[in-house]
Amino acid sequence: MEPGEETSGRSAAQRRAESRRRRLLQNSEQRMNRIVGFNKSDSDSSEARRAMEPRFHLDLDRNESWSPPVSTKRLSPYVSEAGGSSATPCETPERRGSPLPDSREDMGEDDVSRGVRQRPRGELSGDEHSRSPRRGLQKYLSRFDDAMKLRGQLGSEKAAQDSSTDPEELDSFRLFRLTGSVLLAVFVRIFVCQYLSIFAPFLTLELAYMGLYKYFPKVEKKMKTTVLTAALLLSGIPAEVINHSMDTYRKMGDVFADLCVYFFTFIMCHELILLFGSESS
Amino acid sequence: MAAGYNWLLVLSSVFLCNLVKTFLPSISSFLSKVLQKDAEQEMEMRTEIQNMRLELSTISMMDEFARYARLERKINKMTDKLKTHVKSRTAQQAKMKWIVNIVFYILQAALMISLIWKYYADPVTVVPSKWISPLERLVAFPSGVAGGVGITCWLVVCNKVVAIGLHANSLQLWRCADV
Repeated sequence: MEPGEETSGRSAAQRRAESRRRRLLQNSEQRMNRIVGFNKSDSDSSEARRAMEPRFHLDLDRNESWSPPVSTKRLSPYVSEAGGSSATPCETPERRGSPLPDSREDMGEDDVSRGVRQRPRGELSGDEHSRSPRRGLQKYLSRFDDAMKLRGQLGSEKAAQDSSTDPEELDSFRLFRLTGSVLLAVFVRIFVCQYLSIFAPFLTLELAYMGLYKYFPKVEKKMKTTVLTAALLLSGIPAEVINHSMDTYRKMGDVFADLCVYFFTFIMCHELILLFGSESS
Repeated sequence: MAAGYNWLLVLSSVFLCNLVKTFLPSISSFLSKVLQKDAEQEMEMRTEIQNMRLELSTISMMDEFARYARLERKINKMTDKLKTHVKSRTAQQAKMKWIVNIVFYILQAALMISLIWKYYADPVTVVPSKWISPLERLVAFPSGVAGGVGITCWLVVCNKVVAIGLHANSLQLWRCADV
């Protein structure tokens, strides 16, 4: 019976080894998940955590629509399979069959937390690592295309400016503004300035212009592509925002022009009155 | 009496600068024409090429191929020479334009600096300070005289007004030229 016992003992050892090997092979995915640092509970918590993580790669990408950060995308290809299984790392057969169950059970949570700790928040998994350079390249190429288009546009506009001497149109509203400023300056010099600061009527006039603006035919102003607008466009600022800013800038320029004309006319009137007054006296 | 006309002096200087600026392209093209010495040679080459082309059109390529080919080679050679000439002339024109612009801007800057230097402490004109009350310090800068109009403020105002005036004038001239 000794050889039988021996064979049975050997076979039992072999069987144990074989079964251990099989268990290991069966749970290879879960083991891998543990190594990578992912489990189901982690996947639930990671959603909230991902929302707090900075998404620079998404924010910078203006051409692509924002896609919600899905935690299953985040990690390795094993994630989807791990998400499907309901077993926690503590309940795995591997754990159950481990030679040091207590320590392993303690390590179960520890492993998870260690797995999380092993990967810092900002760090990307291998999949994202491979995806973000591609996205970066696409972004770079789109920006490069934009830059080339703007360069062409700038060049053509400059050539057009050089070749044609067509000055910018003075629209009716602008003419009205300038005339109003001149007339107001004369009126203020003759009647008002003894009682009031000269800037008070001017501000009233500007308010009136703001109200009267809608009654004048709107002139479609040609948007000039300057180096500034090109730089703003390339830096990722939307075109509408740039248009709004340029519109505000233009309005400020108009008000400044009105103020200059008003002040100039006022001083001229003042000097002329002084001159004629001194001559007559 | 002369002190009372500071504003007019500044205004006329600004007007003159802006007027010269408007005529800068014409001035540079005139200067490049004056300084260009080989304009006649270029004209001769052009007429010669035209004559040779006329002659070429009279020659039959089938009957007198050798003569035709010789003349064509001559025309090509002359055209290449003319192209080189034109290229160098264009480069010279661009250089002249650049030099005229630089000289103008240097002179303008010198004039403005000298005006600011001259009227740094004196206002170009004085009005009662109450009239310009909230902005009197700004308007009087850098003279600091209450109610005075400082040189910087007056320069800015004059520049803007003269630019608007010249712009409107050029627009009218352009319309007249169109009609």
